[in-house]
Order: sequence, then C-alpha cells, then structure tokens
Amino acid sequence: MKLQSILRVFLPLAFSVTLSACGEGVVVDGGSAGGGSGPVTGVTPVNSPNNPTNTPSNPDAGPSSPAQAPDTADFSAGSLSDADVAAARFLTQATFGPNLDTIAEFRQLGSIDAWIDRQVSLPMSTTRDYTLENSNGSLRGPRHDGWWNNVVDNEDQLRQRMAFALSQLFVISDIDFALGNAQYAITEYYDMLAEGAFGNFRTLLEDVTLHPTMGVYLSMVRNEKADVANNIRPDENYAREVMQLFTIGLFEMNMRGEPIPAGNPRPAYTQTDIEEFARVFTGWNYPNVRSWEDNNIVPAAFEGRMVPNENFHDRGAKNLLNGAVAPAGLSAQQDLNAALDNIFQHQNVPPFIAKHFIQRFVTSNPTPEYIERVANVFANNGNGERGDLEAVIRAVLNDDEARNGHLTLTNFGKIKEPVLRWSQLWRALDAVPGERANGVHSTADFPMSRLDDMTGQAVLRSPSVFNFFEPDNPLSAGSQLQSPEMQIMSEANLATTHNNWHHQIYRFNNRSAEDLGGDNPRVTIIDLEPLTRLATNRNDLLDWYNLVLFAGGMPSEMRNTLSQFASAYRTTSDDRFALVQDTLFLILTTPQIQWQR
Amino acid sequence: MAALIMKKPNFQKHRRNLLKQLAALPLGAGVSMLGSNDALAMDCSNSKSLVCLFLAGGADSFNMFVPGSDRAYTDYINSRGPIAIPESGLLNVSDADQGAFGFNSLLPAFRGLYEQDRLAVVSNVGTLIRPTSQSDYLAEQALPESLFAHNTQQKLWQTGAGIVSGASGFGWGGAIASHATSCNGPAAVTPAFSIAGTSAWLESANSRYISLNADFAVERMFGLDNISDWIPSNRLSRVGRTIEDLIAQGEASGNPAMLRTIADGLDQASIATTALHSALLRNTLPQMQFDSKNKLAKQLHLVARLISAREELGMSRQVFFVLMGGFDTHSDQGEREPVLMRELNDAVLAFQDTIDDIGAANSVTSFTASDFGRTLTSNGNGTDHGWGGHNFVFGGAVDGGRIVGQMPNYSSTNNPDEASERDGTFAGRLIPQISVNQYGATLSRWMGVSEAELSAALPDLQNFATSDLGFMRS
Repeated sequence: MKLQSILRVFLPLAFSVTLSACGEGVVVDGGSAGGGSGPVTGVTPVNSPNNPTNTPSNPDAGPSSPAQAPDTADFSAGSLSDADVAAARFLTQATFGPNLDTIAEFRQLGSIDAWIDRQVSLPMSTTRDYTLENSNGSLRGPRHDGWWNNVVDNEDQLRQRMAFALSQLFVISDIDFALGNAQYAITEYYDMLAEGAFGNFRTLLEDVTLHPTMGVYLSMVRNEKADVANNIRPDENYAREVMQLFTIGLFEMNMRGEPIPAGNPRPAYTQTDIEEFARVFTGWNYPNVRSWEDNNIVPAAFEGRMVPNENFHDRGAKNLLNGAVAPAGLSAQQDLNAALDNIFQHQNVPPFIAKHFIQRFVTSNPTPEYIERVANVFANNGNGERGDLEAVIRAVLNDDEARNGHLTLTNFGKIKEPVLRWSQLWRALDAVPGERANGVHSTADFPMSRLDDMTGQAVLRSPSVFNFFEPDNPLSAGSQLQSPEMQIMSEANLATTHNNWHHQIYRFNNRSAEDLGGDNPRVTIIDLEPLTRLATNRNDLLDWYNLVLFAGGMPSEMRNTLSQFASAYRTTSDDRFALVQDTLFLILTTPQIQWQR
Repeated sequence: MAALIMKKPNFQKHRRNLLKQLAALPLGAGVSMLGSNDALAMDCSNSKSLVCLFLAGGADSFNMFVPGSDRAYTDYINSRGPIAIPESGLLNVSDADQGAFGFNSLLPAFRGLYEQDRLAVVSNVGTLIRPTSQSDYLAEQALPESLFAHNTQQKLWQTGAGIVSGASGFGWGGAIASHATSCNGPAAVTPAFSIAGTSAWLESANSRYISLNADFAVERMFGLDNISDWIPSNRLSRVGRTIEDLIAQGEASGNPAMLRTIADGLDQASIATTALHSALLRNTLPQMQFDSKNKLAKQLHLVARLISAREELGMSRQVFFVLMGGFDTHSDQGEREPVLMRELNDAVLAFQDTIDDIGAANSVTSFTASDFGRTLTSNGNGTDHGWGGHNFVFGGAVDGGRIVGQMPNYSSTNNPDEASERDGTFAGRLIPQISVNQYGATLSRWMGVSEAELSAALPDLQNFATSDLGFMRS
C-alpha cells in the first residue's frame, strides 16, 4: 500500500492498549488497539486500563481541557520527519493541496527551485477545451467542471495556482448577466492567465486590457472620445480600476508596501488622472464585428483581442502619471502602449503585486521586509527585467519568511480560501466524481458552478471587480491584522460548509456510495479506505492528518483530544471506518485546520 | 464575517449552555429573566426594526427621482443626454415647497408610498466631513478620503467617517445594534443581521451581527446538539461534544488572533443557527409574494420573517442590512437600469405589503444607501462615479410625501453643486448638501439611540447645523 511505503516514518506499533467504555454506546470488546507510547506521536497515552475515568466522555478532565489551554499554542510537528513536514507545508502553499505522492515527489526533486523548474516545464491544463465540448457557450457549469478536474487531478499545480491568483487580481466575473453567454471567452481569458503565469507582467497587463471579456466587464469596449457639445465624456471605469485594483492602489507606497508619507499618505492618482486615462482607453471595439455599432455580438466577437478604431479614439495629448505626457496624435495602440508602460513603471507596482502573491500563497500579514524582498525581484529579476512573474513566485515561495515564518511570527499564515479547502480534501483522499456525474466533481449540496452560493467563492464568479475579498480586509473590526478571506467567512457560509462536510463524510464516501438510494449519485466520492487501513494504529492515522491536512501544524492539544476520542473505537474494519469518518469530520469542522501556517 | 469576532472572549461554553436553557423556556420568560436593570430604564416598550437597503455599485438615483419643473427638467435633459428619462417615463408627484417631480415609471411602489406620505426623498445626500462648497472642493478642504472609489465610499457611507482609518471600522448601524442589545437584554442572539455578507455598517465594538444567506433556510449544524441523520446515535453525542471542545481550544485566550477569530466565527455560527432555526420554525411565517429570481426580495423575505419573530426572539430592537448589486452602470445603462428598477420596485412593494399585513407598518423603517450618486453626464451609454445622490426612506413612521433638503442644480453650466471641473468641462459629480451623518442620526434617533451614543458613533455630526432632518415621526 502506497501509504505505508511512503510513510516509512511510521514505525509499526504493537497493539497493546485496552479500550475503555465511554458511556456512549460504543461497544468495547476487550484488548484491542490504542495509543502507543512509542516515538511516533509523543502523546502520552491517557486512556489506559489504569485510568478508566479519563475517557472522552469526560473531556474536561483530560489534558485537552480548555481551562488548561497553554498561553501560546504548541504547533509542534510531533514525530513527523522534518523533511516531510517541510514538503507538505510548501505544497500547501504552492498547490491545491498536498498528498503523499506529491510530498514524495517534492522530496525526490530535492529543492523548491527544482520543483518549480519541473512545474514550469509541465504541459498546461486548459479550461477552454472542456468548455468547448460541454457548453453551448451559455451553460455556465462546464467551465467550473473542467477547472476542478484540472486542479484536483492534473500536475501543473503551480501554474494553476498562479492563474487562480491572477484571476483574483485581474478580476472578471459572470455572476452578472453581462458575460453569461461568453463562457468560451471566459475560459480563454482564464487560460490566458495560466499561459502568462510565468511570463512578464507588462505583457499580461496588455492582454488583460484588450481581452473582450475585460472590455465588457469594465466597459472599455466601445468607449468613445468625448462629445463635449452633448456633455458626453469617456467612460472612466477601466481607467480607474486598472490603477486602483490591478496595479497601483489608492495611495503612494514605498517598496515595503507602506503608504507614504506615514500617517497622511498621498493619493497615488487624482480624479483628473483618471479622466486622462479614460481618454487613453478610447477607440477599442470587439474583434470580428462589422462596425463600431454592430449590435450583433456573435461569438467570434470574443475571439482574439479588441481592435482599434481611430475614429473613436481621442487623439489629444494626455497627462499620465509622474509627469509623463502622451503627446497628441498618437493612435489608440500607441496611446495604450504609453499608458500601460507608464502604469507598469509606477513605483507602487512592485510592492502592490508582491503583496498580492504573498497573500494568495503564503500569509495575510507579511512583514514589510518580505514585501520589499519580493518587490525588488519584481523590479529586477537579476537580469534587468521588470515584471518577471516566474521570478516573483520563486521569490515568494523561497523566502525565509514563507519557509520559517510560522516559527517566529505569531499571526503568520492565512485563513484558507473555500476553494482551497475543497481541493485539499479531494486531492488528499483521491476523490472521484460520483457514479452518474459524467466525470465532473460536485459538492454534496451544490455543483461547482454554485460553490459561491455556499462559500462566497467560485472561480471567476466574484460579486464585483473587488474580488471575493479585499486585500486589506481587517481580521475583525478595529484589528490591525488583515485577513482577506475572513470577509467571506459569514455565519451562513460557515454553517453551510460545516453541513456539507457532514454530508460528504457520512454519506458520500466509498462505502456508502453503493447505497445512495434517493441521494445524489452525482456527488464526488471520497475514498476513506486507505485511512481505514492506516487506522489500525490510531497514531498513524493522526500522523497522516497532521502531515497531509495540517502540514505538521496540528496543535498538540488538539492531537491529545483526538487521541482520546479515538481510543473508544475497536479495530474491526467497521469501527476503523467509523473512526476515520468521525475524526475527519472533527478535523474539517474545527477552526485549527482553517488556519494555514 | 469580520463581524463575528472576539467581542467577548471565552463566553462560548456558557453561552451555549445558556442557549440550551433558553430554548427550553418560553422565550419571553427567558428574556425578562435575563433583562438588566439598565434595559428597564430605557424606552424599549414598542418594537422597532430598521432595514438598510444598500444599492451596491453606486445607484443612479438621478434617474430614480427626476425634477419636473420645466426649467429643471430641461437642465436635466441637457446634462444627462442619451441616458435621461423621457417625460413619458415619469410618474408625477409634487412637493409642497419645491413643486413638481417624477419617479421613474418603473418605481410605482415608490410613488405609491410617497403619495401615502410614507416615503420621503432625501435629496443629494453623501459622505461629508463638514458642509462643503465648490471652493472648498477645489481647495481640497476637509474632503472625504478617496472620493469616487467604490470600496472607500461604501465604507465611509456605512461608518459615517470621513477617512477609513478614522472609523475604526465601526458602523452607525452597529451603534444602533449596540443600543438595541442593551434594550433587548442579553438575548441569546444579537439583534443585528446582514443578509448580504460583511457589512461595515453593522460593525460595533460592543455587539455582534449575524450574517445569513437568503438562499438557504437557517439550518442547524449537523453533528452538534445531536442533530444528524447519518451519524449513528451511539457516536453522535461524542462527536458533537468533541467539536465543541476543539472549537473552544481554538478560542482560548492565549491563541493567536487568526485562530481565535475563525474559532469564534464557528462558535457564533452554531449559536445563531440553533436559536434562529427554532424561532423561525415555531413562528408563523409571513408569506411574501415575489419572483424567485428577485434576489433582493428573497433577502427581504428573510428580514420579514425575522421581524415577525422579533417578540419571540426577545428583540424589541432589530437592525438589518440587505444589499442589491449591479448598480455600477458604466455601460448599457439603457438595458441595465430597467432591470434594476423592476427588481428594486418589486422587492420594496412585496416587503412593505408584508410588513403592513403583519401589523408592523409603523414599527419598521427602511432606507436606501449607496456607494455614491453617479455623474449627471453620460459616457455615451452609461454613467460614472459621482458623489451625492438621492436616497429614500419609507415606512409608516416616516413623515413622507415630501423632499427632505433642497434639490440640487442640474445645469451643465456654472453649476454651484459641481465637484469636478477640468478645463471648464462638466461631469456632474454633485457635492452633497446633506451628510450621511445627518441621515444616519435621524434614523438612529428613531431607534432610540441617545445623543451621547450618537456623537460617539458619528463624530462629524457636530459639524452640521442640524442633526435631525425631521423625516421621522416619533
């Protein structure tokens, strides 16, 4: 079994501990498995025959009592090997979730850079091909289905995580009706982000600017020069959001990402600047339409990039940022080049983009030094190139703060995004689509295209261009800490997510899948059998949880509680399966796992 | 959910137990048993609920309520050009002092409430630190932070502050909720609800709010409180208890804030869903007729249900935040605006009818708010970000059928209300004449918030001549 072969660290333990009755009706059948006292867990057996009262039915009496919580949580990695834990931590940051195979692969490759080298070289998964086959262009499910198959099963994990992070920077969304019928184009947009994930930021910024879906979403398509006599001005939408949300932000900042001057920061641009850039972004139309005003927006109008029409472009001079001027007489494309170069060279862009990627991959509250180190790489990749995204992600992931911040910084890390919680579980447990699901994944309660209804998040389905959450969302009102993800952790989302885990674990697993009766045979099935085999020794099971789901960060107090909890189960296959169900449910529904360190 | 967090650490175990005891009692008894002396000293006798309808994206309110006199309407047509509402698209009303006006004909419910004197139009209201003139604007004197930016202006509207960092993230709805909590007594569940995710308006240092989802029944959390169809009964209670233990471990006071925050959120989710689930099940629900695709109506239906259960829940004061998106009409306004107007109108109509039916007409007040008004001028087929805009207050306690404040100037030449001037061109971003502080204070006072609480919640209120716009009957 691959679990055992890879988990060589798990020494076989003699089954020697006797279960005790817990008063909850779990049948106890004499001498059977329990917690060993060997080197594996470091957990003191609390459930020995000599200590019959210290059972899970009396949890307050044990070392897990909240009243005895230590002042600072202990996030020791227990007995797991340092190398495995380091690999799992890295893969939690850089992929859609580790499993034993990817941990082994990472260790074999030997270094972060070697792993990234391989990731960059892998063939790219696309969402467009699947969507072309399965959607008529308006059906919204297929692009999600294709995307989930990619991120759960495919190898190009870093590219897909980059694309997902970029999709939360250069935001478009079909939650509104505007892009509802442009499913092919939306997937082309997403694949464009994946394609450009290791390329140059300036190139990608122009591709994003001229993509027809962005043209519709932020209304740059058919933006016209002013008609002063009729009080008609150019549309300011793209001009504003490309600066506020995609590149620069509201206030001037230093390379450390700190607003300057401290305490009373200067706005990075004025309303007048926006009006000037609005004039730059005039004169662009859909490709493949007959005229500027052709209302027959055929699917081909979303193929390729927007095209200039000089008749509608404002050819006057424009004042750009930092005193630069785009002189009069430039074409739409020349003006665009000048403006995007001007934005790209703005001093805010390196720290702004550095912080975005750090927050999406590693931690919500990076130190200014961490931001500065990554920003410096954005500004110059070492070969004089600005905006090299591959160099940026290498800098983000290799940084000492990413690797060791959890050891020194109290609030290091981030609350996991909902999408990543699902992908983590499914990748860890070899999830497969339900028997009648036509090969597509589904949660217990919703298809993937409606994951946002339950969790506030689904790919390219944010409520507005402000993404699912904002980068400076306070952890709680008045807090100095930031936590973008907390913005969508409403009681409603937490409660429905909790219930979905319940359904997933107790209903849609490999053993109950054959007997779903009236239940949805399209729901993704998780395979609990490997864990059930592992559960012969409950410490092996807890080690697996700690390694794969916590990247070594399961608090020791939590581990003690789970260990006590597990001690009441017999070692029959049915009981081990029950133990896996119950412990997995406990783990998924509790707060500890939601904090990625 | 920033909302949920750690206002009162380490209360969870007690809170859950308290909740279970409460559930076993008739709710009225439970509340009075727990009511504090302070609460008895306040006037909490008659139930009141306040509903914020946030029109996200910046509603083009200049096309919702339109000047009707010849001269003003001509200015309006000239400024708005292709996106102006033609006369045939208006429903006429009049104001005793300011003459003829028109509601967008897709807002007949608004006009109907206005004609019943139950809806007031609050003219050209927006974020202000102090009264601001055109010359103040050009001199950049005491301007709100990041004017015309969605997220900042939403925060300033909801917090009443002039700068984001000055607001501490607390909203004036939260101040009402905090007052309501003292009025209601320590009821199990906070009387502040968002049906639309995070709401700065409801943030408070002293009270929480609950964020519900209109698409779901308020469902109990499986595995807790012995609720599960699938966990065998001989395992169920241990599973539930252990979940509670693990959440409590996460909430321990020595833990890092990141962990405590998410732990507290889970705990609050379980408390809220448990209490509301039973109350909503027991209570006779008001039926409300609306198109199932109408997302705002769906939110308001949940609000109506919570209002109808307010006595049972022990909430003599309630505040609600609902949100309708899609108002950022930079393009295709001709197609988008009617869709928005219909959804808004139908939702308001169905909701107010329901409130009237359950006999709560005079004890429920609703009001609109938005990021900002939009430009009077167009960009050809849409409008851009503005500043001041009209808003609407309705309910039986509203002294309606009139316009509050002076309607702005709609002219594209020498307009004294215009904020942005570049080379003499006119955009029609109007400087507000009424502050969010004044608007909020008038509503808060109706909810019983004291003058001291008001000045703490809305510190810039003192900069304005009046702190009460007079549109609420007592």
